[in-house]
Amino acid sequence: MKRRVSNVTMRKRLVTVFLLAILMFAIMDVRLGYVQFVIGDMLVDQAKESRSRDIIFEPERGRIMDKNGEILVGNVSAPSVMVVPKQIKNPQKVAEQLAKILDMPVDKAYKHVTKKANIEEIRPEGIKISEEQADAISNLNLDGVYIAEDSKRYYPNGTFLSQVLGFTGIDNQGLMGLELYYDEMLSGEEGSLSFFSDAKEQRMPKIADVYTPPKDGNDLKLTIDSKVQTIIERELDIAVSKYNPDGALAIAVDPDTGGVVGMSTRPSFNPANYQEVDSDVYSRNLPIWSTYEPGSTFKIITLAAALEEKAVDLNEDTYNDDGSIKVEGATLHCWKSGGHGLQTYLEVVQNSCNPGFVALGEKLGKEKLFSYIENFGFGKKTGIDLQGEGKGILFKPENIGPVELATTAFGQGVSVTPIQQVMAVSAAVNGGYLYEPFIAKEFINPRTGEITKKVQPELKRRVISESTSKEIRNALESVVAKGTGRGAYVEGYRVGGKTGTAQKVGKDGSYMKNNYILSFIGFAPADDPELVVYVAIDNPKETVQFGGVVVAPIVGNIMDDSLRALGVEKRTDGLQKEYKWTEQPLVEVPDLIGKEKSDLVNYQVNLSVETSGSGEYIIDQSPDPGVKIGQGKKVRIYLSESKPKQN
Amino acid sequence: MVYSASAIWANYRFNDSFFFAKRQLLFAVVGIIAMYGVMNVPYYFWRKYAKPILLICFLLLLAVLIPGVGMVRGGARSWIGVGAFSVQPSEFMKLGLIIFLATYLSIHQKYITSLKKGFLPSLLLVFVAFGFIMLQPDLGTGMVLVLTSMVMIFVAGARISHFIGLGLLGLVGFAGLIASAPYRIDRITAFLNPWEDPLGDGFQIIQSLYAIGPGGLMGLGLGQSLQKFFYLPEPQNDFIFAILAEELGFIGGTFVLLLFLLLLWRGIRVSLAAPDTFGSLLGLGIIGMISIQVMINISVVIGLIPVTGITLPFISYGGSSLTLTLFSVGILLNISKYAKI
Repeated sequence: MKRRVSNVTMRKRLVTVFLLAILMFAIMDVRLGYVQFVIGDMLVDQAKESRSRDIIFEPERGRIMDKNGEILVGNVSAPSVMVVPKQIKNPQKVAEQLAKILDMPVDKAYKHVTKKANIEEIRPEGIKISEEQADAISNLNLDGVYIAEDSKRYYPNGTFLSQVLGFTGIDNQGLMGLELYYDEMLSGEEGSLSFFSDAKEQRMPKIADVYTPPKDGNDLKLTIDSKVQTIIERELDIAVSKYNPDGALAIAVDPDTGGVVGMSTRPSFNPANYQEVDSDVYSRNLPIWSTYEPGSTFKIITLAAALEEKAVDLNEDTYNDDGSIKVEGATLHCWKSGGHGLQTYLEVVQNSCNPGFVALGEKLGKEKLFSYIENFGFGKKTGIDLQGEGKGILFKPENIGPVELATTAFGQGVSVTPIQQVMAVSAAVNGGYLYEPFIAKEFINPRTGEITKKVQPELKRRVISESTSKEIRNALESVVAKGTGRGAYVEGYRVGGKTGTAQKVGKDGSYMKNNYILSFIGFAPADDPELVVYVAIDNPKETVQFGGVVVAPIVGNIMDDSLRALGVEKRTDGLQKEYKWTEQPLVEVPDLIGKEKSDLVNYQVNLSVETSGSGEYIIDQSPDPGVKIGQGKKVRIYLSESKPKQN
Repeated sequence: MVYSASAIWANYRFNDSFFFAKRQLLFAVVGIIAMYGVMNVPYYFWRKYAKPILLICFLLLLAVLIPGVGMVRGGARSWIGVGAFSVQPSEFMKLGLIIFLATYLSIHQKYITSLKKGFLPSLLLVFVAFGFIMLQPDLGTGMVLVLTSMVMIFVAGARISHFIGLGLLGLVGFAGLIASAPYRIDRITAFLNPWEDPLGDGFQIIQSLYAIGPGGLMGLGLGQSLQKFFYLPEPQNDFIFAILAEELGFIGGTFVLLLFLLLLWRGIRVSLAAPDTFGSLLGLGIIGMISIQVMINISVVIGLIPVTGITLPFISYGGSSLTLTLFSVGILLNISKYAKI
């Protein structure tokens, strides 16, 4: 067991120990290099952050302006209170004083002023307070209590353009609408004064303070014209007070660029008090959000396809409407009982004759009609620079049979958004150019006034030729001059357009009774459109559900005032005169006695209706049936709850 | 010679605070005088007095535990105060034990391969001393003491199989130590993920790495450390190497490592060339103690092993440590006089 340890063993072991030590030192040096070179940069950043103390300088959020530079959303000063708890000598007293001015519980304020933090915000009570509150606090001269300059959004026009503009939260962050969509461009970058501090909160010697100025957000100039927008807001307000609808919307677009000139939704809200309304109100920008069956306004697309494909000659080809058309065993009725009789296709358009459009759809066939529908941008988002755009629903190609083709041709069975219709009709009347709609025009550096980003109109594709477009313009101008869109007629501006009565699909999937979205899409001047205006009123009350009666005059008013505001000259050339109303054929008053009120929708004649009494049934009318009166004249009907006896 | 050159480090490191610098200078002067004195004491003098020295060391270790005599600093009762100055008996114990072990092992070397007559008695002594130090508690110094003793026993010729058995026992003992003081497990978890609790247990490691990382290749320059501004607690003590790496960079850090390695090499050569087994083991013990302390300290600072409080020889601030290290070097230098290098 015992063995003498030789000197050789000791020497060997000494050398072993030394070699092991060398290995250890090598490992240590490698680790040192790893810390200094491999993770060194990361450590430098973290170390800097741990030593620097930042006093934040808030940037000013970019303002939002209309295309002429009129301020739509501005900023007003709204200071915030900050406390440095370590510097507060008498927290209880400070908490009481702050709580009184900021109208908050004392214990809550006490928690803020005693918080273990370098700088503490009194949130939310002390954020964006009034100048008076800020003055009151600074007059107290409290140690460790600071007033920081900050700003909040200011909406000079109240509810004006509200769903489009959206609003910001307590930290001026975009929450909805353009404020959210362009939050990054508008918000700018925080600046700071960083000083380096040692771990005992004293300034570090030798290291200079670093001031990073805040970068103010870009001002945003829109394509919106505030004069046009004002006109639209006014017209919708009038419509709301007159018809008490479930909702209403309007869009005005420059057809040559796709720039949105005006856009409005009812009900509306004031962005400064967005918390006071239901979230559905501020989150649904109806012109881009809502999807519904377009009704007759969609016939423009069928017309465009048929003209471009040379499937019809409007003046030469004729269609005999006997009041209904059979498609694969299903009978599709015209809105006019008895039908329109023999018409040219131009008259089919003017009369908005459903069987006539079914015939046009059949001439085209399903592939062609649906390829035009897709080309005009339906079934896809338009790509407008706003949050919450809908996309609509088209029939799946494999589900399209003759009946689906027929109903689609006159605007039923498809679901579209208002903005899709406006862009499609813009393309139909501007020479065939389908644009992407946009609302942000330019971003401007608020300090230098330089344009930091300019949005160019984006042409998606050309859908139809200029000659087809011209034919459409003429046909639709005649709809306003001679047909169902008579209410939109404006003396001196050549308005073209098309009415629509959209049926709403209820929760059970079937059409709702007596509940329509009445719409009108118009453009002017007809030879070179400057403006396309779409207005839809959802379920107007106390009126007949005539698209031409309720909505066409609203579009006419918007067109008249807007074109004047945009500086479009009224013209009195000869072409106008043939459309004057005195030259319009007189209208035969239909026999309405014994009908239900809801049947009125089927009489798209250009007459306005006034009601007396209440109830579902029409018991009398004035003037009598068969009397011929001027277009747009009043017909008074008398209503009753019970059905009149047939005599 | 080389040892003296290394000692210079101690003098110029403390330029951020004259208080520490002056005291350190004083200790350095005392230490160097002691070193020159000891250099001229024939090393077998220590063999002669090995027993009384060890006894005194044990008494001091006992004294430190008596409240009123021992002073508590940083959670450990490690100091004995004498006026403004205070000493750490555990530092003396290290040297005392080395001297005694060198004496014991050289006399009883023929029994070293025996478990009962050689290995266990040495071990018993080491662990009694360790136990006393752990009563303070001072894990760092205790570890240096145990590891140095192990190296000495190993070089003296103990059987490798005995060490393996001891290693297994050691693991059990280590687990026991951790179980007895919960703050140690915190230090280990802090080591594994310092960022989990950056303000608590991971604080020292993170702040140490914040110092070393920005050092880069060349360092921030002498006196330019940012971490010494209270971020790294007591930077002149255990974490001085972090500040050194911050100011002098990878080059400076590597240079210091090389100097220590050179010191070790010189020490090993002295030990190899010593005229007798006692000198050889004594030299090894001294150089082993210094080197092990260096390895543990720097490994802690660069995040290789969990935090254990231990100073960096020659460089860290600390009177007991510096004086004693220089004193030890004096002994080593005397052995070298007799060595046939």
